[in-house]
Amino acid sequence: MRFLKLFMVLLFIALPLAAFAAEKKANSIDELAKMYDSSSCKKCHAEIYAQWEKSHHARSLMGVKGGLMLTPLALKKGTPGSTAFSEDDPKKMTIKNFPCFKCHLPQAVISAEDSVAVELAEALLAKDSAKVGKLQITCIVCHNTKAIIHKRELGEPRKNVLYSSKAVAQHPDGKYKAVEKSAIFKDSVYCGQCHGLGPNLEFDQPFQCANLYGSYLHSYIPSGGAQTCQDCHMQKGDHLIAPNFNDDKGTSELLAKAISLDVQTLGYEWLRKAGTYISKVVVNTKITQTAGHRIPDG
Amino acid sequence: MVVTAKTTDGKEIGKVEKHYHPQATNCRDTKMKYGAQWKVANVRDTSLQPAQAKKEAIEFDLPAGIREAIVTVELFYEAANPANKYQIHSITRKVSLDR
Repeated sequence: MRFLKLFMVLLFIALPLAAFAAEKKANSIDELAKMYDSSSCKKCHAEIYAQWEKSHHARSLMGVKGGLMLTPLALKKGTPGSTAFSEDDPKKMTIKNFPCFKCHLPQAVISAEDSVAVELAEALLAKDSAKVGKLQITCIVCHNTKAIIHKRELGEPRKNVLYSSKAVAQHPDGKYKAVEKSAIFKDSVYCGQCHGLGPNLEFDQPFQCANLYGSYLHSYIPSGGAQTCQDCHMQKGDHLIAPNFNDDKGTSELLAKAISLDVQTLGYEWLRKAGTYISKVVVNTKITQTAGHRIPDG
Repeated sequence: MVVTAKTTDGKEIGKVEKHYHPQATNCRDTKMKYGAQWKVANVRDTSLQPAQAKKEAIEFDLPAGIREAIVTVELFYEAANPANKYQIHSITRKVSLDR
């Protein structure tokens, strides 16, 4: 009986500690990268993983062609190029100083201490691409963190569960042992969580990144469009989710497929007034596009 | 989109650029901004819209004595900055005033 009591007391102490440990936030870029590491997915999903590795999701803080697009936020406040989110010392940077994390690194909002923001700011100023590049929108971010939007009905995404377009009862992974079906995975609203409606007015300093989902809702849908983001950008489950702006040829081909240009020309002599002819060339251009959103947008 | 008219020996007669994209300010002044961290809301949108054709009629007056021109229409996509271009289409036409 005494042993049982002791066991119960220890259990009461140990359980909250275990829970605390599970909730512990990352203190460094390496810790955050490890928490959301999806390299184990590669073993069984090699093709998808290879597609993702080339995608902008895999370099969500890197911008186009190796750029470090968040650098202006890390610059010393008041210096040329700095922003309203900048501080006078990178050591003062917090998660809130990087509102871009909302979409470019959603895991940081829920799983990172401010020390990660300090480390990132210092890495940006040092142009340390290798360190910045460790922060990615990994498989875990899409298939867990951002997988549920109806949280009042469905709750938060559960730990150790992945979400996808179809359920897998027994998922052979050391950590994520089940895959549940998410109703929104094939819906544009899923992508719309980040590929934006317009100004982000919920922050203390508004800013605007992507408008794309707003364009889809307010332009493409009213025009009679019925395709989803995934229909075009994830054909056959392609996790590159093109365009890949680091691939010049592929990007040009994709754009040429979506955008048509028709050119008609006319040469004639315009009669401005009696006896005064002006030789003129008229170029009539007509551009049409088949995307489900404005071009350009993101 | 860049539309260029040249003489048959390569001298430029004229060049017209059209830019199709949403344009935003910070809503505190009238300057257009680049970069999400500075933009707040679109004030103008000339981008290519779904199911809508973007039509232009561009005119070049030819110099005296010139009755032929080579017209080139190039359509580019610019990502991140104007120097980072992806060519989408390039169409060239020879236009003559003679029959």
